[in-house]
Amino acid sequence: MLEMIIISSVKVIVVVVAVLTCCAWSTWLERKVVAYMQHRMGPTLAGPFGLLQPIADALKLIFKEDLVPKSVEKVTFALAPIISFVPAILTFAVVPFAADFEFFGYQVTGIISDLNIGVLFVFAVTSLGIYGIVLAGWSSGSKYSLMGALRATAQMISYEVGYGLSIIGVILVANTLSMKELVEMQGSDSIWFFQNWFVFKQPLGFLLFLTCAVAETNRCPFDMAEAESELVAGYHTEYSSMRFSMFFISEYANMLAVSAVGATLFFGGWQGPLLPSVLWLLLKMFLFMFFYIWLRGTLPRFRYDQLMNFGWKVLFPLALLNTMITAAFVMID
Amino acid sequence: MDFQLPPYDLKMMLPEIFLFLWALVVFTFDLLTNRKKETAIGYLTLVGILITGVLLAFTGYGRGFGNMFFNDPMARFFKIIFLGAAFMAVGSSFGILKQRIRNHRGEYFGLILLSTVGMMFLASSQELLSLYIGLELTTIPLFVLAAFYKDDKLSVEAGIKYFIVGAFSSALLLYGISFLYGMSGTTDIVQMKINLAITHLTFTNIGMTLVIAVVTMLAGIGYKLGLPPFHQWVPDVYEGSPTPVAAFLSIGSKAAGLVAFAKIFVNGLSAFHGPEMLPNDWGQLVALMAILAMVLGNTVAIWQTNIKRMLGYSSIAQAGYIMIGMVTMNVYGLSSVAFYMFAYMFANMGAFAIVTVFEDKTGSTQIASYRGLSKSAPGLSLTLAIFLLSLAGIPPLAGFLAKYYVFAAAVEKANSADSASWLYWLVGVGLITTVFSLYYYANIIKQMYFSREDSPYKIPVSAPAMMVIAICLIGVILFGVWPEPILQFAGDIPASFGFIAR
Amino acid sequence: MSLDLAIFVISALVAVFGATMMIFQRNPVASVLYLILSLVGQAVLYVQLGAAFVGAVLIIVYSGAILVLFLFVIMMLNLRSSADLGEPSPPVSRFVKYFVSCLIFLELSFIIRESLGAGSTTSAGIVTMADDSFGSVESVATLLFTRYLYPFELTSVLLLSAIVGAVIIARRATEDELPPQPEKAVGPISQKTNEGQE
Repeated sequence: MLEMIIISSVKVIVVVVAVLTCCAWSTWLERKVVAYMQHRMGPTLAGPFGLLQPIADALKLIFKEDLVPKSVEKVTFALAPIISFVPAILTFAVVPFAADFEFFGYQVTGIISDLNIGVLFVFAVTSLGIYGIVLAGWSSGSKYSLMGALRATAQMISYEVGYGLSIIGVILVANTLSMKELVEMQGSDSIWFFQNWFVFKQPLGFLLFLTCAVAETNRCPFDMAEAESELVAGYHTEYSSMRFSMFFISEYANMLAVSAVGATLFFGGWQGPLLPSVLWLLLKMFLFMFFYIWLRGTLPRFRYDQLMNFGWKVLFPLALLNTMITAAFVMID
Repeated sequence: MDFQLPPYDLKMMLPEIFLFLWALVVFTFDLLTNRKKETAIGYLTLVGILITGVLLAFTGYGRGFGNMFFNDPMARFFKIIFLGAAFMAVGSSFGILKQRIRNHRGEYFGLILLSTVGMMFLASSQELLSLYIGLELTTIPLFVLAAFYKDDKLSVEAGIKYFIVGAFSSALLLYGISFLYGMSGTTDIVQMKINLAITHLTFTNIGMTLVIAVVTMLAGIGYKLGLPPFHQWVPDVYEGSPTPVAAFLSIGSKAAGLVAFAKIFVNGLSAFHGPEMLPNDWGQLVALMAILAMVLGNTVAIWQTNIKRMLGYSSIAQAGYIMIGMVTMNVYGLSSVAFYMFAYMFANMGAFAIVTVFEDKTGSTQIASYRGLSKSAPGLSLTLAIFLLSLAGIPPLAGFLAKYYVFAAAVEKANSADSASWLYWLVGVGLITTVFSLYYYANIIKQMYFSREDSPYKIPVSAPAMMVIAICLIGVILFGVWPEPILQFAGDIPASFGFIAR
Repeated sequence: MSLDLAIFVISALVAVFGATMMIFQRNPVASVLYLILSLVGQAVLYVQLGAAFVGAVLIIVYSGAILVLFLFVIMMLNLRSSADLGEPSPPVSRFVKYFVSCLIFLELSFIIRESLGAGSTTSAGIVTMADDSFGSVESVATLLFTRYLYPFELTSVLLLSAIVGAVIIARRATEDELPPQPEKAVGPISQKTNEGQE
């Protein structure tokens, strides 16, 4: 019993630290990649290739003055960054990060908690993330923030249905809701190690998931909740210092979470030959992250009524169609 | 995993399925004709209800979906009442569609049909879950229908009041149902009856938990029926909502509530009725509510100046009379309730239809505007007088026989057992308040006939409204003098609840 | 076992605390937040009872979707100062409310205490149901699509009528009633937010 608790705690700490570290260097990655896309250099001064830039940024944000405007609702204003940060981290509780391994004689599973409803847990937790944004916008007492929050809500309602339906196909094919079993199902010993990845069985489902995931994380081209050219900074206009950096971190944590879920559901999670399993997961997540940044570097922002139209009239019917087709195939099998 | 579907017999629910599809047809027709042909939609709806009635006649007794859908005599009888109420509500709606509802006409009729579908499913459900969903399906379209005059503050108020009260009462009912489920471990009403009895005999403490269940469910259904102390919404909603909708509420929704009550209490909790299990006796609680309803409804109605409010209080009182039949747990009780509801349908729908045509012409629902109507519209006045007299219970009209059978059933039960002698009190209150009720019903007749003023109104009656009024008139008079066929039909009901004549 | 008990007590307290605070808040947004807290507590209780599916669905549907809509509407109305929230109810009616609530609470606790006798609220039906697969997605789905297929399908009719009703209520005057308005092209949200601002 005690061993179990210790092992679990160590896993939790390792995963959280890893996620936070990834968050920090994701910011560096974003700045670098966008810079190269625009034929710039990006951060270069702090450390080799500017690798120490995130640390410098963090120090700067920590030592900034914590401004709280007069018109805010104090409690919710303080809670909002935390509410938006926690769900992103919680998602990693059910993401299998490695194959089972032995550690100082203890058999350790490569997942913090193998819930038998893991996929549902992910969706339950990520659906709570919206409250951070909404509350931040509402409690700031500023028009721009409120607009950002309203947009975020409208956006969330529009894509959430499609988002949920997009993975039903995978669940139908796999016949399980456990993330661990999903990953194990996608493994293969042959040279075509990727042959069992669900992305090949569910191409439409994957595309839908990818699109909705971008909206879920409020990233470009669906970043109208922040929309710096229209709403100053949207829901976190009034935030500064550490509180702002919480939003900043949680945005990247959300991206990482969605990447991890996407990699697990569609790209076989940690499955892969030769390399250690953790590295495979990180590699796949990196591809997702790169895709996000790529989108940001190339696409203009949607107008939010366009997004609502897109969510209800394109994503939702397509997701339904995908579900129906998959269900028919599963039944025929 | 093997999936074992229960044997479903869709044939059994053919009328319901047809009516549901017809509602969709009505919606679509409205769209296709560019929302212009309101009269055609009305007739289309009427035809749909008629066809459903025919289908109902050809659908015999039987079960569908395992034990979940059950066409018993009670279901069939009340389905006729639902369809009749819907038919007459639709028939008397043509006027308001021309004048006040300029959009969503198809939805207006479609929602009436959907609500009727809900009532029919409710009447056939043998199981608490589908019963609850049927009840919701009944009321949710009615919320919208009550608020259908969106530019009228009273109508919106009626819609919101009805919505809040309806949602709250549904929650209460569901809370009680969850207790029943917890105690019996099943949602099937017959199985629940058995399980509850076993549990009651094995563990003595079930009674107190049952009290919560009974009280919350009584409150929930009491709201739907408008039984005091859960009646406050009734006059406001009747006054504000479109008049045909108020009529539909007073018959359809009430009959649906009665069916739910009969299924949960008279059938499911029949073991917990009667003084021998006193802490669990729901009969006297209901009797108390019935007394309150009769006294309160009949006295407050006297002071009303608005005819819709008056009819609202009258419907509270009528619910009280009906509940006398409900607590009479003998072979006559349920059949008298069914007959009462049947007779009440004709009288009330007829009265509301006339109020509707009067309102269409004059825009007024004040009792005072009926002054001298007998001179300008003698036929209409006479018909309204007949409907009101039937509501009051004057022989030889159907309303009289209805009250007579309810009281007779209660007296018969009171005679048969000493423990049921409290039913005498109920009958006594019923008789006295009937006399009260005559006052306010006669007041309108007085205004129409014995006023020196001349009414300035000539009331034109459209063909469908005329048809509705004629049907109601025939029903009120015919079943007052020749009730045998209905009585025979209604007489089958108690047997399916286990009340068998000795 | 003690861990289980601790989790139960904490989440039950959270659920009750959230529900209570929800009622006592003057600020609707705070009410919604406490409701979410209460729902999370309830979800944990469901998970602990072995009905993980119900717990997850509770969070996804209520916290994730319905309450977001609540917040959306509340933010749209933008009730902020206490003047927006209306007068507090007069002391007499408040006293009656508290009195009746306390009465019902005492009644319920009395009844629950009375019925705490051994196995009083369990019956033959419940005991047979609680097997291994209880509360799992498979068992819920199997019940839903076999034994309770009829009410399940009935729900779709209910939802349809609710949708039709909601559209009628929410939709503004149609072209028949009003001349077409030029600003309609801007989109439904922006119009409402403009109205919501001070």
